[in-house]
Amino acid sequence: MKMSKPLTTDNLTKQYKLGKKQGAKTALDSLSIEVPEGVIFGFLGPNGAGKTTTIKLLLDFMQPTSGSASVMGLPTSNPATRKLVGYLPEEPYFHRFLKPIEVLSMHAALAGVAKREIPKRASAVLERVGIAEYADTPISKLSKGLTQRVGIAQALIGDPKLLILDEPTSGLDPIGRRHTTQLLVDLRNEGKTIFLSSHVLSEIENVCDMVAVLKRGKLVAYGEPDKVRSEESFVMVQTSKLHPETHERLRFLDVIIEPFNDTALLKFDRNNLYRVMLVLEGLSLPVYNINTQRESLEEAFLRLAA
Amino acid sequence: MRDQVLGVGSWVLVGKGIFDMRKIWVVAKMSLLENSRKQVFHVLCLVMLALIASSMLLSIFTEGVRLKILKDICMTSILFGGSALAIALGSMGIPNDVESRTIYPIFARPISRSQYITGKFLGTMLTVFLGVLAMTIVFAALIASFNGGFDPYLLLAVAFTLLEVCIVAAIATTISVFASPAVTAAFTFMIYICGTIKIGYFGGMIERTADGISKSLFGVIYHILPNLECFNLKASLVHHDPVPASYLAQVAVYGLCYSAFVLFIGMVKFGRREV
Repeated sequence: MKMSKPLTTDNLTKQYKLGKKQGAKTALDSLSIEVPEGVIFGFLGPNGAGKTTTIKLLLDFMQPTSGSASVMGLPTSNPATRKLVGYLPEEPYFHRFLKPIEVLSMHAALAGVAKREIPKRASAVLERVGIAEYADTPISKLSKGLTQRVGIAQALIGDPKLLILDEPTSGLDPIGRRHTTQLLVDLRNEGKTIFLSSHVLSEIENVCDMVAVLKRGKLVAYGEPDKVRSEESFVMVQTSKLHPETHERLRFLDVIIEPFNDTALLKFDRNNLYRVMLVLEGLSLPVYNINTQRESLEEAFLRLAA
Repeated sequence: MRDQVLGVGSWVLVGKGIFDMRKIWVVAKMSLLENSRKQVFHVLCLVMLALIASSMLLSIFTEGVRLKILKDICMTSILFGGSALAIALGSMGIPNDVESRTIYPIFARPISRSQYITGKFLGTMLTVFLGVLAMTIVFAALIASFNGGFDPYLLLAVAFTLLEVCIVAAIATTISVFASPAVTAAFTFMIYICGTIKIGYFGGMIERTADGISKSLFGVIYHILPNLECFNLKASLVHHDPVPASYLAQVAVYGLCYSAFVLFIGMVKFGRREV
């Protein structure tokens, strides 16, 4: 029997009506993606690119203007699909008078977890996200980072097959970020599929198996991070501090110069390596370090979203 | 639109929808916890309790008249207190959840919007019930202190007041699906007033109006508006007039059906609303 993809969108489009004179604004334009099982899928894009609109469409918070989306082969308009999904909003909002254990019990009941299993499951999830000691502290007394972790716990409580996480590391300190990133990898290794929207691209680069980049509602890149990044590599050369005249000569060769402590870092296309080295040799400038680098996901994102 | 209505309708009536009481109860419990912490709940309950307790000051009247006035004031307080609570809490519940975004994690669960609305409505009614219960206990204690016993008519009158409040809460919940809390409260209050004077005022208007269009318009308004006066058993409580069981049954069925129908409209409307 053929397994359905955890998440599929087919020409998913959303237009907002602005008024009779202004017409409509396209927030999402014909998005077609497939998220395979057991991967961490990074969903990237600058503000206003249509990421939140996509997530809202996937969770049936709103209806598409055209196109469709499905979770495990079922249309997202079917409430049963949400039994398979755990969702973390960008800033998780809970009733502030509730305690984390109460929030989890409520969401476990809504997710259809058996009543007798709820206390055990809630404690285990709190332990897993590292906030077991705050189980009985009202949300109003928790920091932003701890509330974020309650949000992650809430997303996990129904033991979903697909996790839709909107900025999961938002508000977390470096330790919390590292912990969450490791948690995502562990969940992926357990076979869960994670659809992750984030601005912290360095983190995404380390954990994502696939990415999609949106720009003004359109998909501009989609695939494995290696395929999204430019094939071309560039060279980094560390030399001594440069004289302003040397700056001019190097700029003719499209060299990007960045100061680094008492030295300068030169960044340029590898095709210009010979000419740059000739200039440095001509000026008797030392070369402390030289290496080649490939475009990072962040650089690819900036290039694609520009 | 037709498909949407049929879709929501079939989900409500046939599917797991409205009958999955566990999810409805979770939302209702949350709503009750939230409502019972609201200042408006505490203030309204305190004001009505103070009003009921102030009936003790009716010592200038003779004993028989005093008991009648006491019952009159207390039943009016319970009715207005309950209705005010239903309007205030019913008009704030759903818009507050949308505004504060607490609705997102809830809607990301396998819960239908009809279940959510039913849960919010039940939560409002449970909170109102708590307020009315407190008022009724004070009221019953006052009657007992005046005539030395428990008046069974009191329970009947309060039960039917709760049915009236049930309609008010359903109207507020449904309007709040597409309007702001202030607009919802204003509209529900207008409907409440019109529903209370429906028979006397709109009934008379239809009879007096000669113009065909106006007559039809008043006729439509007359038939859409709830008849809230039929739940008023104050006279029966004051004078201990027996009320036929068939009338009580009819009124109870009317109240429940009207509330269910109004909530159904809210479910259909909320079914496709973007959040």
